[in-house]
Parts: sequence; C-alpha cells; structure tokens
Amino acid sequence: MDKSLKPFFIYSFIFFVLFASCEEAAIPVDSNLTTTPLSIDTVSFPVINTISYQVPPDIGSHEFLYFGKKDEFSFLYNLIRFSSIDSTNLYTFNYYNDSLIIADSMKLIMSFVSDSLEQNVDFQLRYFPNHGDSVFNELLTNYTNFDQLSASSVISSSFMSSDSIDSVMTQLRLNFLMDTTIINVFKDTSTTSFNSSFLVELEAENSSEFKFFSSNNLLNPPKLRVYFRQFLSDSVVLDTSFHTYYSSQDVSIIDKPIISSTDTYNLSVGLAKGIRSLVMVDMEGWELPKKSIISSADLVYNRISNDTLIGYSVSSYPIISQADFTKFNIFNVDPYDVELNYLSSAAIIDNQLKISYRKISTEFGRGGKVNYGFKLQSSLINDPFKTIQFHNLNSNISLPVLRVIYVK
Amino acid sequence: MLNKFIKIYLLISSVVITQSVFNSYGLGLSRTSFHSSANGAGSIGLIPSFHPGVSMDNTATWPGLDYTYISGSFANQSHSIKKSNIQNQASRFNKLQFVIPIIDRYALGLTIKPLNNQNSFFRTDTLMFNFDGTNIFSSKEFRSGGGIMEASLGLAIPLNRNMGLGFTVNHLFGSSRDEQSVIINNIYYRMFNLRTYNGSTFDFDFAGLLYSDISLSISTYARVGMTNKSISGKLYKFNFYEDSNNSYSYDANDYPGDLVVDTTSTSNIYSPNSFSFGVNLAFKNDLNIFSELQMWNDESTNTNYASIFNDKIGSKFHIGGGFIRFGNLNARDWQDKITFRLGAYQDKYSLIYTGKSLIENGISVGFGFKFGASGNQIDFSFRNGTRLITEGQKELFKEITIGVSLGDLWFLRRRAKQ
Repeated sequence: MDKSLKPFFIYSFIFFVLFASCEEAAIPVDSNLTTTPLSIDTVSFPVINTISYQVPPDIGSHEFLYFGKKDEFSFLYNLIRFSSIDSTNLYTFNYYNDSLIIADSMKLIMSFVSDSLEQNVDFQLRYFPNHGDSVFNELLTNYTNFDQLSASSVISSSFMSSDSIDSVMTQLRLNFLMDTTIINVFKDTSTTSFNSSFLVELEAENSSEFKFFSSNNLLNPPKLRVYFRQFLSDSVVLDTSFHTYYSSQDVSIIDKPIISSTDTYNLSVGLAKGIRSLVMVDMEGWELPKKSIISSADLVYNRISNDTLIGYSVSSYPIISQADFTKFNIFNVDPYDVELNYLSSAAIIDNQLKISYRKISTEFGRGGKVNYGFKLQSSLINDPFKTIQFHNLNSNISLPVLRVIYVK
Repeated sequence: MLNKFIKIYLLISSVVITQSVFNSYGLGLSRTSFHSSANGAGSIGLIPSFHPGVSMDNTATWPGLDYTYISGSFANQSHSIKKSNIQNQASRFNKLQFVIPIIDRYALGLTIKPLNNQNSFFRTDTLMFNFDGTNIFSSKEFRSGGGIMEASLGLAIPLNRNMGLGFTVNHLFGSSRDEQSVIINNIYYRMFNLRTYNGSTFDFDFAGLLYSDISLSISTYARVGMTNKSISGKLYKFNFYEDSNNSYSYDANDYPGDLVVDTTSTSNIYSPNSFSFGVNLAFKNDLNIFSELQMWNDESTNTNYASIFNDKIGSKFHIGGGFIRFGNLNARDWQDKITFRLGAYQDKYSLIYTGKSLIENGISVGFGFKFGASGNQIDFSFRNGTRLITEGQKELFKEITIGVSLGDLWFLRRRAKQ
C-alpha cells in the first residue's frame, strides 16, 4: 500500500466512526401486535387464621437497663457480663497473676440515663463465683429460666453519685467497689473462661423507674475497672493505674407481664410483654408460572389505635411448622421456628403496616416451601414497652389480605 | 496504530445498527447487498458494479481486478414509521474485504460482514388498572440486537477464456439478545434471552461473457447458495428480574438475588438456500444496463428461536435493474474517472406462520471515484425505499453507504520484458 495513503485510510475510518451517531426512539406498538405472552397478573389471597401468643419478655437488645417499675412492668434484677479482655484489647484477668502486678481493687460502674434524680436508693451487687464460664444469655434469659438464688451473697452496695467524666461534664453513676477477694476469683485460671457476670438489684422494692445505659449503648455501657500497681523492680513501683472492661451482654429481667384482653383479642406485638402473632394466608393451590417474577406481595395490617406512632417497625417471618390458631397460648420458649432468610420488616406509617412477602411468596408459588403461616413480632429496635394491636379476623372492617402482582 | 483504529471501528460499528420493526421477525431481515458499489446500483452483487467486469460481492468476477484490494463499506441507515412520526438512525460497517487477484485468472478473498440485523426497540402505551383500590400503571418494552456474522473464504477459478467460477465457504457465527420488559409503576421487570449462532454455508458463483463485439457485450451471472451446516446455537433464557436501579443489567441491587437461566441447545434454526441470476449489457460508451433476480428460502424447521413477533421470514424474491457507467482511471478529465450507478429493486419477503408478505421497494443512486496509481476507489451510495407488511406498519428507510477500496499489486502477471 502506498504509504501516503495510510493517513487517508485512517482518517476515513475516524470520519466513519464519528459519523456513527445513533438515535434510538422506541417504536410504539399496540400490546396486541406482539404475540409474546408477557403479561401482568394479580391475585388476592385471604387471611384465614390469626392468633396472638405470649413468650417471655425479649428486651436483651435494648439500649437501657431498668430497675423498679415502669408502667405495668416490674423489673426483678439486671444481669451484666463483662468482656474477658480490656478496652485496649491487651489485658485479660490473667494479667493480674503476674507477681509484679498488684491488683488492688475493682469497680463496676453503671451510668444513669438522666442527669437529675428524684430519689436516691441503694443498689446491691452479687456475682457468680461457682457458675463456670456462663451464667446467662441476654437474648434467652428471662424470669422463667433463671434462678436468682444461684448468685452469691451481696458483695457490694452503691447509690447514685455524681462523677466527673471530664473537666466540664458530670454524670450520675453507680459505683460498686470490690476488693481483692473478688479479683482473685476473676483471675483464677482454674476456670478456662470465667463468666465475669454480676447481678445488680435494688436493695428494697421500689415503684419508681431507674434507667441506666446498657451494653447496647456505645457511649456509656457498664464498665468494670481493675485498679493495679506495677513493680518495675524491688524498690520502684508505678502509680496506681486501671484497665477498663466493657459489658458484653446485659439484660433486665422482667417479672411476668400482665396480658390484657385487648392484647389477646387482636393481632398484637410487643417486646416486653413477649406478645407475638401468627397469620395464615390461604395460598393453597396457587402456582407461580415458570420464569415469572413477583412485583409485589403486600399484606396490609391496620392498626386499631389512631394515635400517632413514629418509627415503630414490625418484623415478619414464615414459620416452618404447623401453628395452633385455636386459642391464645403462653409459652416459655417460642415453639414457632422461622425461616430467617425470609425476614421482612416494615415501619408502621399512618397506622398501617405494609409487609412485603414477595420473597417467600415466590417460594410458595414455586413449591419450594410449605406455607404454614407468618409470624409477626416487634422489631428489636422498638420501644420494648410499647404494645401494638392490629385488626384481625375479628374485625369486619379491615380484613388483612395478601395482594400479589406478578409478571409472567 | 492502524490495527487499533480498525479494532475500535469494529467495536463501535458492531453495536450501532439501526432499529426497524421488521428486524423483529425471526432472525431479522437479511441484506441483499453489502459492498457500497453494489448498493449504489440497487444490485444484489451479482453483476459488475465495482469495476468493469467485477463485482466485489461476486467471487467469480474477482480475477478481473487489476489490483489486490482491501475494501471496507460503511452504512448509515435511518428508519421512520410513517404514522408514528418516529425516526431512528444508526451506523454500522457493511463489509470488510481483502481480495487478491492472481495472474488474471484466479482470485482469493477473505470477507467478513453482518448477515442480518435484529436491532429493534418497541414500547406499548401505558395502561392503568385498579387492584383492590390501588392504581397500577404498566407498559411494556421490547428490545433486541445483534445478529449473525459471516466470515467467508472465496476462490475464483477460470472455466475457459470467457467464463469463470467462484466458490465461497461461509462460516456463520455471532450472537443476539432480546429483552422483554414490563414496567410497573416505573419499575422495570426485565427478561433476557441470549442466542448464539454457529453454522456454515457455501456459494457457487458464475460469471460468463456470452457475446461481445465492438459496441456491445452481454454477460450473465449466477449464484447458487446452499447450506452446508444448518445454523445451530444455544438459547439462554433468563428468568425475570427487577431492575431496581434501572441499570439495564442484572447487578447486586436487583431482585431476586440470583438469576436462573435455562440453557437449550438448538439446531436447524437457519438454513438459507438461494438462486440468483443476472444479465448485464455493456455498451461501448461504458454504459451498462443490468437486471437481476433472486429466490431465497430459509428451510430451517426449528422455531425455538422465536423472536418478539412470533414469526420468521421464510422466503424472499428479489427483482431489480439499473444502469452503471464506469469511470476510467486513465481518463484525463476527473469527471470521466467517476462511476455512476442508478437502480431500482423490489424485495418480497414471506412470513412463515402468518403467511403475510413484507414488500420492500427501493431506488438507489451512487457514484465511485478512482484515485491513485493503484486503482484506489471510494464509493458512495444512497438508497431510499419503503417496507410495508400486510395489514401492518409502513416503514420508510434511507441508507447512505461509503466504501473505501485501496489497491496494491500482488501476484499479478507482469509485462514481459521487451
């Protein structure tokens, strides 16, 4: 090829490429013109069974720890477990077994939520020296399955006092002081992983509410401080210092809640009362066509009360076994296991809860799962002491219906 | 550097193919001509349109080339639907070709070209319906693109002094996809189908000079196209997904979390057979008058590759004719170096299932200009026409093509030394 023509050839191609403009407007067609089976279908499934039931309170994930009474709830005591390693992630309790380290004392600190106090009362502290590596689980432990008598005798008492947390701020706190007797149990290596747990309670019954930050509050969780001195040589010793261990689990143990007829008559959910509900939707015989997709599968629940409710959300799961819809039951352990992968949750807006069951409805429609019904429960982020009621089949004005729109 | 440009050019041009209603029947419309010199004459590429005695689309005529050519044709098409006031346009390459004439008797050529075009984009009106007290707005969209590519190796051999044969083996390959969407309250639910293609065909070309004197020569041309290995392929049918972020592709934000695809191997989806015939009268003033006809059938039986319109093109009949006046590279005046082409044609397609006819009428005009000492040529063509389907839409189309052919001396018989 003539070399002088190469630039011409190149520029021609560039011209052609630049000329390759593309204008793409959709051509309008009538839906009947195409013979593709693409279509939208809708189906409404009736709710045929509803029931509420009660399990023990579920407030282990709450941001606060309570003492005394709040509304109709009575708090028996609080359980707190501390991390086995300190805030610097360096020192376990075994550190204080070093002959050059002298642990003098230990302090459990709980921060009061408010900065003012109407009445000051005494609190007392127990621990679990003979309980091995585990005492409680904040998500499972409740008044039905924990024996308060398994704790030791009182090892420390405290009342609220104002502590300086910096040069400006003060905070009302409980400070439980403990001596070397307790430290020796904590640092004893005969138990592989000591439970590091305490029971905190009011010294005397009180009808007021005392609210402290729990481990779920990142700023002011319960703290355990170990004060120690370190010998650098036989004659040189450093000033007293401390390591801080934060609470890893804690829970307020509520006495058995009182259930009202409103709770049992309607579809109710609430954490502190342990109220949950079951809903059965009749989807028998329905098949979702192959390759189709559910656009929406919403079940709308209408709240009974008309008061303003902001930020309250409800979670729902499909259950995996037959449920008892015949009567209101009380269980020590929730017998209805769920498909955790099919969680659906939504906030109540304008007193309506619209839960999307799209994912699990797809499974029901394709025969991948069996429909035993759905469980409704209050989300863990809610105010645990708020119980919400929805209309159920007893209502003749707002029947819940599962409405499905799908593309096939 | 040149390779880079060619790659970029191929990349861009391969995805910008203008859409047409009629691309949505089966595998889409199959083109009848590819080189811009043939386009200018409205020819199917049988009769000479590039150079006296030579068509770049007819292998049997290649020995008539004076030089080895590398040639490319590029097209810009626009389609408009008369009653909808919709116009679309886009560009693509029509053909890339490398042809080597060998001592005036043989020729060898490599060609790559898009055989058909499935690009289309439809949308229905938005409808509203009420579902238990809630208003739902819905519409549908259909898109398709891609098509079959053809890579060919052609060989021309002489039969005698006035006749030649061409044999071309074509490898058919490529892929296409279509997307069907339902839009509910502005959320897209898309379903993809991907199709791959693999097969081969071969063509026998004939070129013969029947009569020649000082004032007139008559030549005939013919082609028999047959399927060697019917096109087979794989059909990937994906489930619907919700394109939550409207990204046009399935990604982590979309529902459901995994996309199920069914893969089906399919055979006998495209088996083209054709017979073409052309006559050319060449007068002493370089004026040529030609006429061509073509009968084309797709004898495939498998309908598993159904397109958006559940039908496919089963046969085509082409008839056309026109004038060509070839330019002379050695002429003194530049006007005499220009080749003029003018033609008209009709393609009548028949759909298999509905039996409907799709008629394409077109007229075309073109010219070519030779430059340089080695027979370089640049060709321009303009084609204008209509497509009309029975009881259906009328589509107007315009097409401009530009072809650049660069010549060089390879394997040609040198003059004997005096």
